[in-house]
Amino acid sequence: MRPDHPEHDHAHPHDHNHAHGPHPTREDDDVVLSYGEARFLALKGLLIGKGIITADEVRRQHEINERGTPHQGARMVAKAWVDPAFKARMLKDAKAAAIELGIEVTEAELMAIENTPTCHNIIVCTLCSCYPRSLLGEPPAWYVSKAYRSRAVREPRKVLREFGLSFPDAVEVRVHDSNADLRYVVLPMRPPGTEAASEAELADLISRDCLVGTALPGRNTVS
Amino acid sequence: MTDRLITDIGGLPADAVPREEVPQLFWEKHMIAMFNVLWSKGIFNLDEFRRMVEMTPLEEYKKSNFYGRRIDGMSELLIEKKIINRDELAARTEEILRMGTRDHVS
Amino acid sequence: MSPEPSSPYALGARVRIVDLKKAGHVRTPIYVREKIGTIDYFCGAFENPEERAYGRVGSGRIPLYRVRVMQRDLWPDYGGADNDSLLLEIYHHWLRPT
Repeated sequence: MRPDHPEHDHAHPHDHNHAHGPHPTREDDDVVLSYGEARFLALKGLLIGKGIITADEVRRQHEINERGTPHQGARMVAKAWVDPAFKARMLKDAKAAAIELGIEVTEAELMAIENTPTCHNIIVCTLCSCYPRSLLGEPPAWYVSKAYRSRAVREPRKVLREFGLSFPDAVEVRVHDSNADLRYVVLPMRPPGTEAASEAELADLISRDCLVGTALPGRNTVS
Repeated sequence: MTDRLITDIGGLPADAVPREEVPQLFWEKHMIAMFNVLWSKGIFNLDEFRRMVEMTPLEEYKKSNFYGRRIDGMSELLIEKKIINRDELAARTEEILRMGTRDHVS
Repeated sequence: MSPEPSSPYALGARVRIVDLKKAGHVRTPIYVREKIGTIDYFCGAFENPEERAYGRVGSGRIPLYRVRVMQRDLWPDYGGADNDSLLLEIYHHWLRPT
C-alpha cells in the first residue's frame, strides 16, 4: 500500500559541521528541500550503501545526459537543409545521420519526420513522456503536462493555436503518438529568405519547439 | 470497454497547455541519471517502471508531477524487487528531512 | 475474435486495432481501440512490453507497425481538417485485417 506523502516544505539551515569546509554552491541551494528530493537522496544513499550503484556512475551518467540539447537537433536539421544527400540519410536512419555529426543517440530507434507544404507534424507521448532525450535533452514542461498529452491527439489545431501556429485545412496536421519503441524528431521546412545563411546561422533559427512541431523556424533573413 | 490505465489520457478533456518553462532542478537531473544507471545495469527495465507508475492510486497520480512520479515509481519498483525495503527508505527520508542536509553520499 | 494472422501486414493494408480487453500493462491507448487504420510503416520486431513489464525479458520479438488513423474516424466531434491523421505504433497481436 503506497504511503501518503504530500509535499513537505521544510526550511532547514544547511549543516556545515564538516572537517573539509563548506560545500561548493549547488544549483538547488536556494530551493527548500522537498519530500521528493529527500526521498531521492535517501534512495541513492541506500543503493550506494548496498553496492548496487556508485556515486561515480550517477555523476558520469549525469554528464552524458547533459550532452543532449536542442542544438544537436538543430544542427542535424540545418545540415539537412543544405545537403540533400544528408537529408535523405537522415530521413532513412536518423541515428546513423546523427553519428555523422558526432551526436550519439542512445534510444533504440529515432525517426525524423519531415514537414512539407501539405503536412505539418507534431509529436506527443500520451502514455508517459517518451522523447528523444539523448538528442535533445529533457523535454519541456508543457510536453510532459497532462493537458498536452490529453489534447494534442484530440484537438491538435487548437493546441497549435495556443503555440501561435495555425494552418489552412489544405495542410494536414499529423500527430505522432510515440507510444512504443520509436522516438521522433520533426524536420521542419527551411524558411524562405535564408538562402544566403551559413549552416551555423540556419541552426540558430531552429528552436527546441520546432523539433517537436509546436514552432516554426525563425523567418528572420540572415545576412 | 476495458478499464483505462491512469496514464492512458489521450483524448481526455483538459485545460490550456501550461507554457511556463520550468528548469530542471539539480536533484531532478541527478535522479534521472540514477534512473538511467539502474536500468542500464538491468536492475529494472523501462516497462516495469511504467507498470509501476500505472499502479499509482488515481488521486495520487492526478496530483503528481513528472519528477514525483519518477522517484516514486522507481522506489516502489525497487521495493517490489526487494532491493530496498519500505521502512528503511521512509526512515532515511525522514532523517534527511529532519537534518535538512543536501550532502550527497560520495 | 479471429486469431492474428501469421504473416506480416503489407504497407497500406487496412487494419482494425482491436481491444484485447487485457488487464495490466499495455501500450495500446484506449482512444484507438476498435478503430480502423492503415499500415504506414513496418517498424521491425521488438520485445513485447506486456511481457517485459513483469520481468519476462528475452522472449521472442514481435512485429511492431506504425498505423495511420484518420482523426475524423477517431473523434466523432473532431474539429480539424478532413485530411488530418494520427500515427502511432501498434504491436501485431492488437491488429486484425479488415
